[in-house]
Amino acid sequence: MRAQRWMKIDHFHIKLIQGKVNMISEQPYWNPVLETMNPEKLQMLQLKKFQRIFQWAYDRSKFHRSLYDKAGICPKDIRSLEDIRHVPTVEKSMMRDIQRKEPFPYGDALCVPLDEVAEFHQTSGTTGQPVYQPDTWQDWEWWAECWAYILWSQGYRPRDRVFIPFGYNIFVAFWAGHYGAEKIGCEVIPGGVLDTAARILKMQELKATALMGTPTYILGMAETARNQLGIDPTSLGIDKITCAGECGASIPSTKRRMESAWGAKVYDHAGATEIGAWSYECQAQSGGLHVNDGLFLVEIQDIETGEIITSPGRKGKMLITAFDRLAQPCVRFDAKDVIEWADYACPCGRTYRLIKGGVVGRADDITKVKGVLLAPSAIEEVVRSIRGLGNEYEVLVEKSGDTDQIALKVEIYPDSENNRPEIERELTDQLRLKTNLRYNLQFYSIGTLPRYEVKARRFKDLRAKP
Amino acid sequence: MITMNQEFDIKALSEKIWVMKQNAMELQRMGALFPALDRNIARILASLKMLEINITDVAEVDIRSI
Repeated sequence: MRAQRWMKIDHFHIKLIQGKVNMISEQPYWNPVLETMNPEKLQMLQLKKFQRIFQWAYDRSKFHRSLYDKAGICPKDIRSLEDIRHVPTVEKSMMRDIQRKEPFPYGDALCVPLDEVAEFHQTSGTTGQPVYQPDTWQDWEWWAECWAYILWSQGYRPRDRVFIPFGYNIFVAFWAGHYGAEKIGCEVIPGGVLDTAARILKMQELKATALMGTPTYILGMAETARNQLGIDPTSLGIDKITCAGECGASIPSTKRRMESAWGAKVYDHAGATEIGAWSYECQAQSGGLHVNDGLFLVEIQDIETGEIITSPGRKGKMLITAFDRLAQPCVRFDAKDVIEWADYACPCGRTYRLIKGGVVGRADDITKVKGVLLAPSAIEEVVRSIRGLGNEYEVLVEKSGDTDQIALKVEIYPDSENNRPEIERELTDQLRLKTNLRYNLQFYSIGTLPRYEVKARRFKDLRAKP
Repeated sequence: MITMNQEFDIKALSEKIWVMKQNAMELQRMGALFPALDRNIARILASLKMLEINITDVAEVDIRSI
């Protein structure tokens, strides 16, 4: 009798759920309340949430309490968003020091008992010794929640079959993308240890509709499909691609190359292991990323003066707080990402703030060459805007006597060799226009320069550091 | 522009979430020596926290701003 009643309920629920999935899929926002909230109310929410995470870190982490006590600030001092500017920032190098302490392997910024840590990940180590990142199961739910905001805004829906060509390992990004896609209700295909050709064939076999990867790898996959398998990537039926790990999807020429190669919309997002997935480009593709203001507080700080920048038009480095991540809190973390506020609103209707052009560089990477400030992303924008050049490039900065020398290695397609003088002239002119520098240009045939699967390191500064 | 704040009774949603959380915590107390209950409730509580982040936190700001 009881079993029959359950079966009836199940039948009723299946119909109800199917109807609801169809209705929900038409909704433009993952959280229609938070993402369209008026800015004043959003700021009140941010203050409340900052107070909560600050209190949490102060009460539970020896590292944070000591940092704040030394600065003479405690939770009761935070009464307004302006007060937050007095809270000391945390840098990655500090995290490396903390992790030499107990409890192993995380150190004294850990705010929960070790038994509650459910997930381990680590940073990629591109800027030094990797930082370990503990997460509780709740933190892991939160990671997936951050990604659900991203994917929903980019048009992912339960009907999608998402292929993730990622060697599932200690890095966090696409793990979280995987769980976020599952949370939304997508079918997820883990393209783990397959090689690139096998991944493409699996996508073709299963008729995947969406894909995630670094811009470098997405371009490399298209090259493999065409050159090795004789498959036109546009024939695979992928209609959206979400990028992570590099800023390429926000660099217009790189985005164009990916969209043209795959016949798909390409969306950017920004996140980091120590922070979470904090921003996303929505379907409107308005030339910027929305900050997830409901889950994070993003501040922009002038690199020279330390002043907090609140208006558009000035670049600075990002300081970020994740409101709801508990095991190892992220409070005013100095991420070194260079960003600026946009001076326009996005037509998608979200009130979440926009950063113009995404993450335009890293404060670490922006360096003086021949006395000129150089952001490597500007070189990528030029190289990939020139027809006849391949996707790969490498920049080498060296010292010759007292003078900086900068070499740019590019790959040229065989059928463009005849136009090499014109290409060289265009490259020189565009580089001078965009970066104010002269380069020693070196041309190679396609396939010569290194290929990358995760984070590419194409900018190499070989000058001796003082 | 679509703004849907008015269409949701955040306070009512928040109250339902609170009841779910109380029930989950009660179950956890009852299942202290029952691993399959305790660990599954721990996961449910993590999911409920996401509802709090998405809804309850907003309801609390609404109450403050009245």
